[in-house]
Amino acid sequence: MTRYNVLLVGVGGQGLLTLGSIIGNAAIENNVHVTIAETHGLSQRGGSLIVHVRLGEGSSPLIPRGAADLIIGLEALETARYIEYARENALVVMNEFLWPPPLAKTPSLNTIIDEAGKRARLYIINANKEAERATGLVVTANTLILGYAIGVDKDFAKLLGGIDVVEKALARVFRGKALGLNKKALRRGYELAVSQ
Amino acid sequence: MVAIPAKYLLAPAGSKVLLLGNEAIARAAIESGIGFASAYPGTPSTEIIEALAEMAKDVGFYVEWSTNEKVAFEAAYAASLAGVKALVAMKHVGVNVAADILMSSAYAGTNAGFLVVSADDPGQHSSQNEQDNRWYGFLAHIPVIEPWSPSSAYRLVKAAYELSERYRHPVIFRSTTRISHTRESILLEHDIPKNIKTKGVFDRDIKRYVLIPAHGRLLKKKMMEKWNRIIETEGREPFIKIINPGNRKVIIASGIAYAHTIEALEHLGRGNEYTIVRVSLPVPLPRKPIIEICREASKVLVLEELDPIVEQQVKKILFDEGIETKVYGKEYVPLNQDLDLDKVYRAIKAFEGLDPSETPWRPREPIKTEPPIPPRPPVMCPGCPHRNTFYIIKVAANKAGLRNPVFTGDIGCYTLGFQKPFKTQETSFEMGGSIGVAHGLSKTIEEPVIAVIGDSTFYHAGIPPSINIVYNKGRAIVLVLDNYYTAMTGHQPHPGTGYTAIGEKTYRVPAEKILESIGFKTYVINPMNVRESIEKVVEAYKAYREGGQVAIVSRMKCALQALRDARRAGIKLPVYGIIEDKCTGCMVCVNLLACPAIIVPEDGKKPRILPELCAGCGLCAQVCPFNAIEVIRPGDPDWIKAWM
Repeated sequence: MTRYNVLLVGVGGQGLLTLGSIIGNAAIENNVHVTIAETHGLSQRGGSLIVHVRLGEGSSPLIPRGAADLIIGLEALETARYIEYARENALVVMNEFLWPPPLAKTPSLNTIIDEAGKRARLYIINANKEAERATGLVVTANTLILGYAIGVDKDFAKLLGGIDVVEKALARVFRGKALGLNKKALRRGYELAVSQ
Repeated sequence: MVAIPAKYLLAPAGSKVLLLGNEAIARAAIESGIGFASAYPGTPSTEIIEALAEMAKDVGFYVEWSTNEKVAFEAAYAASLAGVKALVAMKHVGVNVAADILMSSAYAGTNAGFLVVSADDPGQHSSQNEQDNRWYGFLAHIPVIEPWSPSSAYRLVKAAYELSERYRHPVIFRSTTRISHTRESILLEHDIPKNIKTKGVFDRDIKRYVLIPAHGRLLKKKMMEKWNRIIETEGREPFIKIINPGNRKVIIASGIAYAHTIEALEHLGRGNEYTIVRVSLPVPLPRKPIIEICREASKVLVLEELDPIVEQQVKKILFDEGIETKVYGKEYVPLNQDLDLDKVYRAIKAFEGLDPSETPWRPREPIKTEPPIPPRPPVMCPGCPHRNTFYIIKVAANKAGLRNPVFTGDIGCYTLGFQKPFKTQETSFEMGGSIGVAHGLSKTIEEPVIAVIGDSTFYHAGIPPSINIVYNKGRAIVLVLDNYYTAMTGHQPHPGTGYTAIGEKTYRVPAEKILESIGFKTYVINPMNVRESIEKVVEAYKAYREGGQVAIVSRMKCALQALRDARRAGIKLPVYGIIEDKCTGCMVCVNLLACPAIIVPEDGKKPRILPELCAGCGLCAQVCPFNAIEVIRPGDPDWIKAWM
């Protein structure tokens, strides 16, 4: 069986490791094997960040370029940077958020949307805005975009056992107030996708 | 399914949990019954001790962050001499620091299981080099175990403890970034043991523990006996596993190369054509299974990350046996960088004589734009105290007429000061190197020299070279950046923090007291107060120019920790904004500070502060020549407490 490859990209500090952990725990709940290759240490300090999630039997942790079935991008420049990882007809779910590195000139968000759209089935969502609206906290954008990705990617949703299992898995990652807020963000993201 | 407790590392046998490789190592060490663990933090090894520290009180074993790897090693090794199972963990270059005692430990052996975890960093994700620490196995005559995945690490740690106890010998457990920092779903096999042995006995044995030459010569003989016994008898599971025996084509895959090999063969649809030898004991490589499998082989491919350590041993074993089977290896996989599925897939194709450029995956064409997608290297965070300090020491140098100083640097977040606009790190070699290098330069060049070193790094290896400066009349300034924590690896406490690894209050050893007692006139600044700090540093530079031995300690809490403390205490921090009417668009704030919270919008005229990123340090407001940066959202009256 070939493994299902999900690439998470963004900027250090955006909650990519947490996002990976939620997906991993949902996979466990659904009895699907999972590996998640993270980036730690210096490379996390506001730098470009890439997390490889691989669902299905096997232990080789890195996704080859051109083999990602789904890319979840929490930032536009990083989504563009790693788009080569997408396979043909891959799904790309991108946060409508461009965060320029210090002292750098960047292409416009529209240029990136155009170019990414030529290379993948692109879904755009303003996860920062929607998260703030749903929970009052931008930091829940990662959970919200996960809910959205589950809504648009049927194969991904199936491997995680559907939105209810993912919601259950949140309890393995968050406690107390944070759990409630993340449930809200997850549900909101999912609704935004399925109501399209 | 078994219910998972909040501390999932303590989950009972039968639970399936998502463990980071390092957590899997920690859990297996607990299951093995360790009573003592020590380390100095370093990526990618840090989470092993972090996980153990979190569990220490619940399970009842001892854990510490030591001042450096050598000390950590000595402490854990001593525990094993007293009969207490022990673990010491470090990153690959940390083993260089501990190498002296590593060598001796193999001579004297152990009395309880003792694991030296070396977390290597192929690909240099967070290190100054990518040395292959399996060589240390040969150098020290210590067997090396390498897992191929987090779940195999979990099982092999337990086997490694058994190996260590079988030979009363240290064992190097070599992980890598892609194992230490990969999470995997793991089924826990054993419960946490109930009776942990944390106290033992030191049986005096001068002939064994005092390595004078006469004792050492005898001990070496014993050590070589153990070494040869391992080569002859440990060629079995779980260290060596033969998969699919009977094929004439053989792949020998060590460590993580095995995980890539299995999947690559699946993609190739050639899984049944090969006999695979899975190696988890690469040093010393057991002879028998290699001879047995390779004798009838038509050709052999050795797959391993970094150096050809298994490959060279296989070639030697076959040569000694007169077996002429051709062995391939580094012809097909690179000597540098981490391996991955793609590289191993191509290697096997090339080995087969097929076109390695054909793979099942087709990358999308990269996005090319004008301006291009800019690189995003790691940067100093908004509110980072190092930004303040770097700004201050440069401005003060101009004011004091300290011309063209050379800034020697060290290992930590502040290494990022090598970038524009600061360039206050002009060397960075190894832990503590800033000060020794500064001393040597101060003796040989005309320019003033400033050694810039972090607090944790200063405690680790900065004190002997500081003494050396004073003793040998060097002319370098020592600047210690004290942000209260070993910040880069995730805010572990150190001797200046006042807390131990398990959060107990302890003595503080302030850097300025050490420096003063060595003989430096020491100036302490709080870089949040920019003007006052500049004045003090100017004073320090003047004292230096008058021939004094000068040190500076710049103390301000790491911004990430200040933000976390503010959040926990419910303290609202101030947020700054740029008042458009007052801003002339001079870009001083942007160009002198490179703060990620200050951005230049697409029209490029006037900068803007992203309020959600602003940490409220106020540096930009103090730097703006037009007073155009103000607090737009005041903090609580006592907000400064979060930074103290």
